[in-house]
Amino acid sequence: MLLQAYIINNKVMSNAQIEIQIIASIAAIACAIPGTFLVLRKMAMISDAISHSILPGIVIGFFITQDLNSPLLILLAAVTGIITVILVEYIQKTGLVKEDTAIGLVFPALFSMGVIMIAKNANDVHLDVDAVLLGELAFAPFDRLVVSNIDLGPKSLWVIGSILILSIGLLFAFFKELKVSTFDTGLAASLGFSPAILHYGLMSISSVTTVGAFDAVGAILVVALMIAPAATAYLLTNNLKRMLLYAVGFGVFSAISGYWVAHWLDASIAGSITTMLGIIFLLVYLFAPNKGIIAVLYREKQQRTEVSLLTFLLHLKNHTEERERNVNHLNEHINWQKVRSKTVLDLAFKNNMIVIKNKIVSLTDKGDAFTTKAIDYIITNKDTQIEYMKDDFFLFRG
Amino acid sequence: MDQKIAIKVDDLTVAYNYKPVLWDIDLEIPEGVLMAIVGPNGAGKSTLIKSILGILKPIAGSVSIYGKPYEKQRQLVAYVPQKGSVDWDFPTTALDVVMMGTYGSLGWIKRPGQKQKKAALEALEKVGMLPFKNRQISQLSGGQQQRIFLARALVQNASIYFMDEPFQGVDATTEIAIINILKELRKAGKTVIVVHHDLQTVPEYFDWVTFLNVKKIATGPVKDIFNDDNLTKTYGINYKVSIQE
Repeated sequence: MLLQAYIINNKVMSNAQIEIQIIASIAAIACAIPGTFLVLRKMAMISDAISHSILPGIVIGFFITQDLNSPLLILLAAVTGIITVILVEYIQKTGLVKEDTAIGLVFPALFSMGVIMIAKNANDVHLDVDAVLLGELAFAPFDRLVVSNIDLGPKSLWVIGSILILSIGLLFAFFKELKVSTFDTGLAASLGFSPAILHYGLMSISSVTTVGAFDAVGAILVVALMIAPAATAYLLTNNLKRMLLYAVGFGVFSAISGYWVAHWLDASIAGSITTMLGIIFLLVYLFAPNKGIIAVLYREKQQRTEVSLLTFLLHLKNHTEERERNVNHLNEHINWQKVRSKTVLDLAFKNNMIVIKNKIVSLTDKGDAFTTKAIDYIITNKDTQIEYMKDDFFLFRG
Repeated sequence: MDQKIAIKVDDLTVAYNYKPVLWDIDLEIPEGVLMAIVGPNGAGKSTLIKSILGILKPIAGSVSIYGKPYEKQRQLVAYVPQKGSVDWDFPTTALDVVMMGTYGSLGWIKRPGQKQKKAALEALEKVGMLPFKNRQISQLSGGQQQRIFLARALVQNASIYFMDEPFQGVDATTEIAIINILKELRKAGKTVIVVHHDLQTVPEYFDWVTFLNVKKIATGPVKDIFNDDNLTKTYGINYKVSIQE
């Protein structure tokens, strides 16, 4: 008896685990799609505003339907989301305050209305502020969709799944319109793709997605799912389609790894997912091949050394007299520290541009050709060409 | 002169927050001219273009393109916004930006195919940017970015071209390349309207000019109306230009 109960229990648990991971992953994908466009439109903060200000919509919807997953509730919440955007734009348009201030004014007002509504009805309502802020992913598998005695899985999976399908459908249908209106509003308008329709369309789908992902991660952390994967993807690619795919990938990876971190630490799932998002962003921010901090610093250092090298070679070409080309003299003469002189000297030597005899430095034929060409480019104002020329001459870069 | 009228603007008034930036503009632009719109900062030059293109809603007046409202004539019009109006860090390539010019003829939902790609490549070739087609747009120089914008307008194969300060922040080579393409367009019978800043080059580049400073000061052939009188009226100071023969 006991053993049987244990087996059933265990099986339920592992099913629930899988379901939680699926819900979290689907929520992550659904958030990454509008999130990518929000990031590119510099509207990340709008998603924060929407995620908070849909609360009164949710509360009113819940009062009416008594069901957190009812379509009416999602619709009402989405409408509140759109109202937020309209209010922000209206306040901003008066020119009295800037956009960030307008956002800061609107969403706390709406959010607090929701909080008061919950507090006033706390006794007979199964809805608390903690759940709204942080989500109840761990409990999602218990609220199941049952149709004529057949268990069709967790309700929230159906909700966020439907939203994802809608979102993907719209993305495929209007990808080119979204792209052009995000990149160049003026062109989109002149071509007949109304930027207003696309803007409010995107805002609507962002609101709907936010409501759908609410269950999974709550109001605060849904922002992270929208923005962090897109921001991370932005650092890795110059292609919009790839940016969308990477954002989806990072979202899913964080959802699943975050779940297991929470399992291992016995901590909040939503918190762990968000932590994973942060860690991945940090890693990419540091190590991304082109836009990463380390790559940027490395490029700067390389450029500094190569400019120094060119200065050094020009000096050699300008001075035939031996005392100007003595290794010891160079340090003080070009006014470089020992370390820098050595780096530059090594680089020139490795690239076969100089020879050193009796401490006297001379240009090789190759070094002379390189310098002559560089001077040509400098005096004809084509400095940018020097960068391409380096590929032909350098065996080692700075 | 029985030239057809390409663009007709009637009593156009545009306001931002109830402050008029364009007052009662009447304008007839004949087909086949290469026209500069000149005027001081804040004169409403860009606003005029944007209102003609329906991007801004006027509070009064109307605009027609070959006798019909703009909404019905979109296919005839190409627009090059100011280079600074877009985010050049957007994740896309030069070719992709030029392809956007074909979106108007495709309409909603339909996607660009081989035909559109071929047209975009030809336009890139025309502006000398074919070798850069796969370059990310942030890695292009200011002049190259402007050429990409021009190629995007060319790919629309329009009858009327509107360009908002195409020479801003470009090098001399690009400026010459752009003006040569604009002159070719005029030769092919197209109408080209350019918001322009450099008064010195007006007689050399353009054959038609509109002086604008909230109100329309004058419009007509450069050789007839590009004079100190109109410049003074527009810029409000005693203006002296020597027009080289």
